[in-house]
Amino acid sequence: MKPAEFDYCRPSTVAEAVTVLADVESARVLAGGQSLIPAMNFRLTDVSVLVDIGGVEGLDAVACDPEGVTVGATATQTRVLDDDAIAAVIPGLRAALRHVGHLQIRNRGTVCGSLAHADPAAELPALAVACDAVLAVSGPGGDRRIRAADFFSGPFWTTLEDGELITAVRFAAPPAAAMTVVDEISRRAGDFAVAGLVAVLEAGDREMRSARLVGFGLGGAPTRLKEAEAVFVGWAADHPTDVIAEAVVADTADAFDDIHATGWYRREAVAALAVRAARRALNAREDA
Amino acid sequence: MSLDIDSHIRHSTRHIGMPAPRREDRGPLTGRGRYVADIKIAGMLEVVFVRSVEAHARIISIDTSQASALEGVTAVFTGADLADVGAFPDYIEYIGPVEQRPLAEDKVRYVGAPYAVVVAVDRYTAEDAAALVAAGTVYEPLPTVADLDQALAPAAPRLYEHWESNCSFDVSPHKPEVDRAFDEADHAFTETYVSQRQTGLPLETRGVVADVADGTLTVWSSTQSPHMVRTTVASMLGVAEPQVRVLHPAIGGGFGTKTHIYPEDVVVPWVARRLDRPVRWIEDRLENLVASVHARDQRHDVEVAYDDDGTIRAVRCASMLDMGSGEIFMPGSAPVFVTNACITGGYDFPNMAARTVGVVTNKTPSGAYRGFGIPEGAFVMERIIDRVSRLTGTDRVESRRRMLLRPGQTPYVMHGGGRLDSGSHTESFERAVEMVEPALRLAEARYADDPDVRVGVGYCNYVEPTAPSYHLTTGHWGGGDAATVRVDPDGSVRVAAGVSAFGQGVETAAAQIAADALGVEPRDVTVVLGDTERTPYGLGSWGSRATMMLAGSVLLASQRLMDKARRIAAHMLEAAESDIVLTDGVFHVDGSGRPSVSWAEVGTAAWVRNVDLPDTMEAGLEASGYYHPENLQHQLDDEGRINAAASWSNGAHAGVLSVRVSTGEIKIEDYIVVHDCGTVINPALVEGQIHGGVAQGLAGAMYEHFQYDSDTANPRFASFMEYLAPTCAEVPPLSVEHFESPAPEQPLGVKGCGEGGTVGPPAVVAGAVSDALSEWGVDLTECPVTPVAVRAALRAAAAAAAAREKGGVA
Repeated sequence: MKPAEFDYCRPSTVAEAVTVLADVESARVLAGGQSLIPAMNFRLTDVSVLVDIGGVEGLDAVACDPEGVTVGATATQTRVLDDDAIAAVIPGLRAALRHVGHLQIRNRGTVCGSLAHADPAAELPALAVACDAVLAVSGPGGDRRIRAADFFSGPFWTTLEDGELITAVRFAAPPAAAMTVVDEISRRAGDFAVAGLVAVLEAGDREMRSARLVGFGLGGAPTRLKEAEAVFVGWAADHPTDVIAEAVVADTADAFDDIHATGWYRREAVAALAVRAARRALNAREDA
Repeated sequence: MSLDIDSHIRHSTRHIGMPAPRREDRGPLTGRGRYVADIKIAGMLEVVFVRSVEAHARIISIDTSQASALEGVTAVFTGADLADVGAFPDYIEYIGPVEQRPLAEDKVRYVGAPYAVVVAVDRYTAEDAAALVAAGTVYEPLPTVADLDQALAPAAPRLYEHWESNCSFDVSPHKPEVDRAFDEADHAFTETYVSQRQTGLPLETRGVVADVADGTLTVWSSTQSPHMVRTTVASMLGVAEPQVRVLHPAIGGGFGTKTHIYPEDVVVPWVARRLDRPVRWIEDRLENLVASVHARDQRHDVEVAYDDDGTIRAVRCASMLDMGSGEIFMPGSAPVFVTNACITGGYDFPNMAARTVGVVTNKTPSGAYRGFGIPEGAFVMERIIDRVSRLTGTDRVESRRRMLLRPGQTPYVMHGGGRLDSGSHTESFERAVEMVEPALRLAEARYADDPDVRVGVGYCNYVEPTAPSYHLTTGHWGGGDAATVRVDPDGSVRVAAGVSAFGQGVETAAAQIAADALGVEPRDVTVVLGDTERTPYGLGSWGSRATMMLAGSVLLASQRLMDKARRIAAHMLEAAESDIVLTDGVFHVDGSGRPSVSWAEVGTAAWVRNVDLPDTMEAGLEASGYYHPENLQHQLDDEGRINAAASWSNGAHAGVLSVRVSTGEIKIEDYIVVHDCGTVINPALVEGQIHGGVAQGLAGAMYEHFQYDSDTANPRFASFMEYLAPTCAEVPPLSVEHFESPAPEQPLGVKGCGEGGTVGPPAVVAGAVSDALSEWGVDLTECPVTPVAVRAALRAAAAAAAAREKGGVA
């Protein structure tokens, strides 16, 4: 479990980093390294140059305003998790990060790194889709912005082009009245989800007003549960739960089998999480 | 019992029974523990093993030229280069013969089998070279067998062509009374129970460092049995045993996996001799998961005869062990025999006909793991009791009460010959039942408002054979062990013993025993273990034997020392030897405190001031004791029965679990252990053993599972992403209580306690989840119990109910 030989560079600007990434085949970005380094040690990933962006000044910036939160490429998960101002604007970030790995992993792991890695069972990509996040990207062709919904294209696969570097991600604040639920089934504390759900829900006095539902751990990429979203609107606590479950199951036809769970289990589990989330949002409204 | 604390010792504080703090923790806890991987020798080279990526294949050719040419590579060896090395011994006659070469030569039988070795300046270079050897290897793949059914199919590909099938052994008892019980019983059912494949998973992987200097081959190995490694390495390499020294520094856990003697233990020293260079190999985790033994992996095809009143009349159980490739020394056959020997636990149940079968497959060889077959059997027995209780409407606690051994019923000979010398079988269970009641009420109240949650209780009553025969497992070694005790001129005590320490607290226990045995304080006792040059020949630590062996051997040696010390003291005090007693470390005439001589004065006389000794006495104050438990049998009697353990601990586990019906998530609300390991030397150490054991038991009950692809026998795991070991977040707090039923025939009444913790959890978890979901008729038969397994059981129950309803309507 030792990596094959590789080169290492530590650029001080985004432009330098992008140059190396664009010019050298199999150059890879090192931010927190929590997924990349193990993959290199297993010799699963072929890396010619490791481009350590830890020395790029300003990339660790985190900015928070009432409309949203911007997280720089090298800002760690712990930095974001511990920030009360961020939690006030986007409660889902804290809720999602609590499920990510363990303390030691979050101390090094970055928010943008998790998005770039695009593990289909990870929490942050699903949250990004649920919160309409926008990724700021620099590349040889200049800067561009990519909506999270257009970013994740498959397991560990994104629409990032060769040579491009994520410099920051902007999460938009959900509506003030909305509740964000991040819930998952994982085998152990800190594991990737067997099945998970991010729900941004606006509850009325009795029934649900709006819903944004994104499942994870189901298919190749975060899965928007559109039929379930339609069913959620107007759903009340005394309504039958079958309709939610059926819609979720219809939304998650791609759910896969692996060593930890079967596809049918994942679909059932996310359906249960959706029911749980709906009840929670309506109860919270009732309590308020 | 003749072996006890010397009657001439009047010690004001007894150390046996006290929770003395562990003396071995300072190093590891302060980052100064020295493990095999910390050993640095000038000029040391790094060894990497090249391992098969095929589950079953002939090796056609291995081209090592590219690897050899790589800068930094010193040498590449294949099996052919080791022609001068013997095969691993194969002592056991009743299992299929396996000639295991140190490196696989013409054929590989599992993914991970070592077939070549690379020596280089560092591990990075060695891995680069190993990749080149792998790329230069030409295989002829053969069809594979990935499980028992595939292996036993009529036309199955055979791992060993000279065998008639993949069956290594198949032993059935002759029990006509069981057949009669089946004829007479009201009902019978059949079921299949499964305990999945796991491993011991020590935090520190294995490692070997070898060096030849001044005519001695020194081998540092992370092993539980250094003397056995020395005997084996010396014989396979053809070196005289005194010229081989095997020792282990600190060890980060063994759990049985390090009782085996592996190819690396032999090949690394061979490389050191061949190159005349110090070399080291450190197993990485990727290797650890395929190259250290696996365990469990048993299937139990069961027939149960029972009556309407809930009486279980008889059980036929075919216990079938998937041995993996079988290429391991000591062979992995023994655990399934232990499963059958212990399957009836603390129950008075003679009508058990247990057939014992071992089968080879294209998987990592299976072998020892804490519990050594006991959990698998307990799982079967407890699931049977729950099933019969449910079928007959009998209370599950009552069913167990009826069967448990009662006070006064020991010694009791079990169905397979195991002789339960003593125990608290009924008392432990009753206490566990008492403790479970408030826990259950609390859990029910906790979820009273949640219609998605159900709560259930599970039970397990088990026995734990301790200090077992190693002859059954190895076909070679016995079951005793040795200690040498010395009092130095300054009065300090040195205890050197053949058992090993790898985290259990053995050194602390040894010091407590020696302190009482010689009337000194534990701080005066230095304990030396784990070095063949400094300790007498012993078998190491496994089978919950270390403390029992220490008690016996230290007492034997101490008695001899006390006899001599009292003679010396009598001479120095000009008194009669029979009048000399020892009070708080000082020898004097009984009834009069002065004059006196101290241990230091006696030690000085013995070693230095020989003028103070009686005329005819030899100098020195050192004695050895070789302890062998009296009633320990090593061979089956004419009826195939054996008592292969020196004594038997027992325990009752109970757990309250909650299950979330919609997702199958399981939570342990409360876990109760009532435990009896005879006289407790150190309650803190016993508690530690129970906690660790239960954690590993829960690993088997709920998490760990080595899965293989059924078409290719390829591992479906490479890391802890796939093999889920529970962490501190998954292990619940435990409620632990003790009974003490001293072992009547063992020194100090001590029994072992290393493995019992692992036994209960599979039965408890499956029992509690089945109880929680009883309204749907769920009755789990397999471990691990995962959320998916729970949901699958609920779906199956729903499908069965729907089918019944449909049938009813029609």
